[in-house]
Formats: sequence, structure tokens, C-alpha cells
Amino acid sequence: MLERLAAFAEKFTGPAELRWHANHSVAAAIRKGALVENSQSRASGISARVFENGVFGFAAFAEEDDAALTKAMETARSDAGFMKGRSATPRELARPQAIGEGRFDYRSPRPAATPKERVEILKVLDEAARAKYPELVNVDLSLSAHTSEKALATFEGARAYSYVPRAVLSVRMSLEANDGLVELYDARGGFGEIQDQDFSLAALSSWLDGLHEELRRKAEGGQCEAGEHDVVLDSDLAGILAHEAIGHTCEGDLVLAGSIAGDNLGARVASEKITLGDYAGRGPDGKSTFAIHVDDEGAVCRDVTIIENGVLRGFLHSRRTAAELGAEVTGNARAFSFLDEPLVRMRNTAILPGKDRLEDMIAAVDHGYYFKRATNGQADLTSEFMFGVSLGYEIRKGKLARGVRDTTISGTAFDMLKTVTHVGDSFKWSGAGNWCGKKQPIAVGTGGPAIKCRIRVGGRA
Amino acid sequence: MSALETAPIEEFVAELVARALRQGADAAQARAVSSRYFEIDFNNRGVELLRSTENETTTLTLFCAGKRGAANLNGRAANEIEAALLAARAAADAGLVDAANDVAEAVSEPASAHGPQAPDREAMAAGVDAFNATLAADHPLVRSRDCVYSFTDAETAFANSRGVRQKERRGGYNFAGMITARDRGRTSSINYSSAGSRAPFASLFDAGSMRRLVRDAPRLLEPAPVPEKFIGDVIIAPDCLATVVGALASALSGGQLFTGATPYKNRKGERIASPLFSLSNRPRDAGFALGADFDAWGVPTQNLDIVRDGVLDAFLIDLFFARKLGVAQTAGAHNFSVKPGEKSLDDIIASTKRGILFSRYSGGAPNSNLDFSGIAKNSFYVEDGRVLHALDETMVSGNFQELLQNIHAVSREYVNFGNSSYPFVAASGVTISSK
Repeated sequence: MLERLAAFAEKFTGPAELRWHANHSVAAAIRKGALVENSQSRASGISARVFENGVFGFAAFAEEDDAALTKAMETARSDAGFMKGRSATPRELARPQAIGEGRFDYRSPRPAATPKERVEILKVLDEAARAKYPELVNVDLSLSAHTSEKALATFEGARAYSYVPRAVLSVRMSLEANDGLVELYDARGGFGEIQDQDFSLAALSSWLDGLHEELRRKAEGGQCEAGEHDVVLDSDLAGILAHEAIGHTCEGDLVLAGSIAGDNLGARVASEKITLGDYAGRGPDGKSTFAIHVDDEGAVCRDVTIIENGVLRGFLHSRRTAAELGAEVTGNARAFSFLDEPLVRMRNTAILPGKDRLEDMIAAVDHGYYFKRATNGQADLTSEFMFGVSLGYEIRKGKLARGVRDTTISGTAFDMLKTVTHVGDSFKWSGAGNWCGKKQPIAVGTGGPAIKCRIRVGGRA
Repeated sequence: MSALETAPIEEFVAELVARALRQGADAAQARAVSSRYFEIDFNNRGVELLRSTENETTTLTLFCAGKRGAANLNGRAANEIEAALLAARAAADAGLVDAANDVAEAVSEPASAHGPQAPDREAMAAGVDAFNATLAADHPLVRSRDCVYSFTDAETAFANSRGVRQKERRGGYNFAGMITARDRGRTSSINYSSAGSRAPFASLFDAGSMRRLVRDAPRLLEPAPVPEKFIGDVIIAPDCLATVVGALASALSGGQLFTGATPYKNRKGERIASPLFSLSNRPRDAGFALGADFDAWGVPTQNLDIVRDGVLDAFLIDLFFARKLGVAQTAGAHNFSVKPGEKSLDDIIASTKRGILFSRYSGGAPNSNLDFSGIAKNSFYVEDGRVLHALDETMVSGNFQELLQNIHAVSREYVNFGNSSYPFVAASGVTISSK
């Protein structure tokens, strides 16, 4: 396919891309012993994007033959011309410093898991969990795999192919507490295909035990006290903090839209203990849950140091935002499916580790919380952020105390990050990988060490 | 090119079912959606992108010896169709035996068509120009971003091995826009609204709550915290009410009833909300731009009262969970509507002693118990009947079960979003705190 795209890309006379993109996925789910999902999916097609008259025209079709490629190129050009002389502002595109070439194939060398093996993974875990923890109101187990496979050829000469898989096993347990239902969710897996993971009961038994015990403590616990508190955020939350609170605020299109980050380049926005970036490949340690080497505009992805020792240093760019903000292209333009145009998106966003120990952080809190697991999150142009917390504990006089129920934490990133007093010495990528929603869903990696900071906590107490 | 590649969509799904049966499936169903999409993506500085796409997605579900498996494909390439048939069969063979696994018995209805088949691109472009011109002239502090004015024409066909055949076509417009205010280095929180329409919008400001949000945006540049933590009223704006209704609908779903992880199990006929609160599901209501005449199982949809004057009247149960629970199917597609009340929004504000005008919820997804906690975004502090100021870094916490019981006013003003319709709803008992 890449060769065919390349031949058609030779016909372009200006900035343009041709992409073939296939998303492969499997999904299986057991709810209270019933198999409620058991499917396999493939969605593929071709797209063309051209830049003319200061506007992008984009067209995509499910067909993949030469006629479809020609139609996509013609439709994209026609669309780009449609707004000529109307609300279109003349704009330019920056040229990437390095044009992407190569194959980045993370296909598993092992035989693919069969449908029977997929269902069996869930069945074994479900039966074990329901037998071992009979007091649970419900156990939800799901197994999902998603692979993004694409070939890209651009006017500027990019020629790239990639195959990037991720597989996730998740479990949600529900328990009836004295005052209502309490539940807890967690996931295992990450980079690679199902057959690359060990989802056996032997491998996951202690994880399920741990999850059940934490659910029990959560059910016995209470509501958080609303207000600002000293907290320790475990690495799962630090990763989402990096993504939601800082990463979004520093996306080039959001900077152009008025993000507060645009006024703070070169300014101190965090404790000097904080260094945070958005990383290419599989991140600084090569172990992230997601991989990217060439973006969907054909630019070689490069690491972006967003905050260096507390000082705001850089933003994430597509060719358009780089041109408008006078910056270098960073390789952050990504599309979810063949139907989608590239947008400025994060890749592997993380806070780099420091030198502090987790136990010292907890010991340093007199009255606060230790939050371990996040749910959803949201960002804002003001750098105000929030994310849900599904697992945490009170800290009283430097020691962990009772569990707490679901809550939300929030703050203004450029204020909150200045309150960071400790940055942990142990780095982890969050869970089995995350998804980000911004017009399109997209797979991202988030990670970090534990940090101690002051943050606003929602609660009913 | 094979005959199947060019066959009408209803013949395509029928042929897939026939092939599945020939391969040995006991029963099968196929649902295909063929869509053509066009969008203009713009912000206050101009148009960024025009996008045209065409796609057809098909879900093929096979039933073998009481087991079920499915495969999804797009397009009609012969090799992909064969691969999908094999994948669905392999998934079904690997499934778990369940008496609830079967295709539906339902009445096949005549094919229906709703809305235009093609976009009026000139009208859309003119709408974008007018929106940007008005924004620049009348709202100089307001910026827009990621505004998407789109048109979708989708044809959906369904067939199953019991002879159920359904087909509908829906065409319509949608506008979704984000706005913020910016002045002298200060930026307000993002706000957004979206709505669908069968015809091009007369003005994009008429889409959803956009006109009110644009009007209020500059006031958000000078936010202040609430004076102290307190338990007070929330006047929930229509866009924000969608969060409450979404959480309630999830708790009333067949999936949640099956798990038992819902506070509403066995509560049909009981009062679960204030008598002022009525919620219905209206997938066939012509007053909505969107909707569905049949669901994913090919079962014709029905308009249904869910909560009537505070009393739980029906759950939202699709075919599979209806069989699991041994009850009647009630829904598989949603257009929610909360009944407007008698009071004006101004009167509701005037009668509020202390609380907030709650415009947008940015928070953790409510848990099974419907506890919630999050930020009140783009919201305003209300005291002694007056809106005093925009809120800064203010959190709200409570429980949606209690909140529904504590509703004390519903506005007569409402917003039709094209797939739902919500008024302003006032309730008490929410914990409100700032930094």
C-alpha cells in the first residue's frame, strides 16, 4: 500500500498527505458471568488532505483502490477551494526539520490469540473472582485490543508505515456498603497484542486480591473533606496530571486559542523539581504503553521538553501551529482513523523522576490524602484541570489511615505545580495506557513518579 | 466489482444473514449504516478545514448453539466480507451459552426517511461567515475554537434470520462550538454547546445554548470564589442537566439492573425524584432532529415515559438484558426530554437564597451510587435572588439520587439540542466550596 500511496503522492503540487489507515480491534466482556460483548472489528480506508488557499481540504473513503485515491485527492482539493474568498485567513505551514521514513512494526511474533482463548481468559478470571469474593454485587471483566496500522506518503517525501498495538484487561468490582454501592476499577496490560501479555489467573491472582482488599477498605472508608489539602499523588495520577493539567494547555492549537500557557513561555510555572515532557518513540525509558515515530503529517517525532526545572520551555506543534507561532514542528499531528484529519495531540507525556521516596512524602503530610488511581480528567485554557479519583487514603500525622470514596481533585496547574515539594524516585507509566478525547479519541501514554503537592479536593464532609 | 458491492443496503444486509445461515449459524442479524458526512471546521480567525467522508459500517452477529459472536467491518470488499463472516462465526463458537442469545421477533416497518439527503453547502458557509462576523462585531472579547458545522446523511438497514427487515434514512445538520473570552492576558474557561437541526441553522447562535454562552463569556473573566464552604442550591443549566440525566439513564439501564449495581433496582412505581421532575425517552419525536425508528436488534423504538411526576415509570432495557431479566424490552435508542416547568429562570434565580447557577460540570464520572464531585465551570454565584459574580475554582459535591429528590423548581425555558431537550432545574443540598 505504501508504494501505491507514494506513486499517487508524486502527483501533488503542494503540501498534502495520503494515508491508508486501518484500526483493528477485539472486544470481549463478561458481566456477572454473562458474555455481553464478543466481537472483532476492522475499519480501514484511505484519506487525502491538501493545503490550499490557507485552508485544509480533507476527504476519506472506505474503498482503497486507485479510483478511491483519485477521488479523495480531487475531493480534498475541491473542498479546500470551496471557502476561497470567504472566512479563510491566509495561513502557512512550517516544513518539518526531518521528514519521516521507515517501518515501525510492533506486530507480535507470537500467534494471535484465538476467539476461544480470549473468552477463556475472561471466563477463568470471572469464575475465580466470583468464587473467591462472593460478597461482591458485581464483577465486570473486559478484554480489549486495539491496533493502529497506517501507511503515509506526503508531498514533502515522507514514506512511513506503522503497526502499533495495545491490549488491556480491565476489572470492575462492586460492593454494597452501609451507605450504598462502592466500586473500584483497574486495568492490566498495555503495549503489545493480547498474546504478548500474561493474563493468566496465576499471573493476575494477587492483583485481583489486592483490588478486592482496596475495595473493602474503600467501602469501610468515608468521604473526603472538601477544600485544599496536602496530598501525595501516586504515579498514575502524576501521569494524568502531566497530560491534563499541562499537556493540553501547551498544545499549539490551544495556545493559539488563548491558552494561558502562551503568555508564560520562559516563565517559572512550577517547582524547580518539575521537569515534564511529551516524548516520541516509547518515551524516555522505552517502556511506554504507546509508540510513535512519524506523525500523520510526515514529520519525524521529536521529544518536547515542556517544563524544565520549573520553567516553561516549549509547546506541541503541528505544521500549522508551528508556522503561526514561529516554532519548530514537533511531530504531534495525529489522527485516530482514516476518517479523521490530524490534530495536535499528545504522545507519551510524563513528569520525569526526582530523588524523593514515597514513604518520606507520606510522612511529610500531617493531614491530607494519598491518591492512588484516577478515572477521567479534563483541562482548560486557564490551566485549571480536574480529574476523578477512584482510590485513595487519608493521611493522618504522616501515616496512611482509612480509605476514601470517589472524589475529584482540581487546581490551576501553573499555581499548583509551584506547591510541589517532593518528586518521587520511581517512575511508572499509568496503568495499561490511556485514551484522550479531543474531537477524536487517541491512544496516549502518561506517566510519572509520585509527587507531593497542595491541591483542591472535592468532598461532602 | 461483485453484485454485492453495489447492492442496495437492504439487500446487502439480507445477503449477509443468508450467507451466515448457509455457513451453519442457527440465527443471524446484520445492521449496516452507510453515511456521507461534510463539515466546516472553523474558529474566530477563520476556516481551518473542510472535510468530506463516505463510509459504510456493518455489524454482523451470529448465533450458534446458544452462543453469540460478532464482527464489524467497513466497506464491501469481498475478502473483508468473507473475513467478517469467518470472524463472527469463530467468535460465536467461542462464546458462552446463554438463553438470552437470540435474534429479535419484531414487526418489519415500512422504510422511513427523515431530513434532507445532501448538505446546503452555501447555506453552511454563509452561516459560518455570519457567525464570525457577528462574533467580531458584537462580542469582541469572545474567541471561538474547534467549531464544527456538519451535515450527515445516514442510511441504516437491518435484517435478521426471523425475517425482520428495517430501513431508515436520516439527514441533518449539527453545530458544535467552543468559546472562551480573552482580555488583557486573562482567559476564561472554555465553554461549549452543540445541537442538531434538520435544516441549516438560521443562525449558529441559535444552536443549543450558544447565544447565552457567548453573552455570558466576558463575565467569566472576573471570577471570584464563593465566600465560604456551604450547602446550597444549584440551578442546573440545560447543557449541564445532560450530565445528571446521563447518570440516571445509566443507573436505569438493563445492564446495571442485571448487575444489581444500581440504587434503582426493584423501585419501579416508587417516587425517585421530586414531583416536578418528569423524564421521557422520545426516539420517534419529530420535534427532535435526531432519533431512531429501530434499535440495534431491529426492534421498532417507542416513545416512553421514564419518570412521571417523580415516580419511576419504566427502565431503559434493551433486548438482551430484557431476556436476562425476564421483562419487556423498553428501549434501545435515546432522545431524552425533561418536561419544562411553570417558572421563569429569572423567577427561579430571584427565589434562590444562596447557591450557584451551574452551567457546566467538569468532574469525575458519577459512580454506581450516583455520588458526584467536580468543578462548577462557567458558573455563577447567586445570593439573595441575584447573580453576583462568576465562580473561580469552585467545586460541587453531592449525590444525584438526593439531588433529584431535592428539585424545587423547573424552568419553562428549555433548550432543544436535537437529540434531547432540557430546562433549567433547581435543587438544594449540594456542597459548594472554593479554594
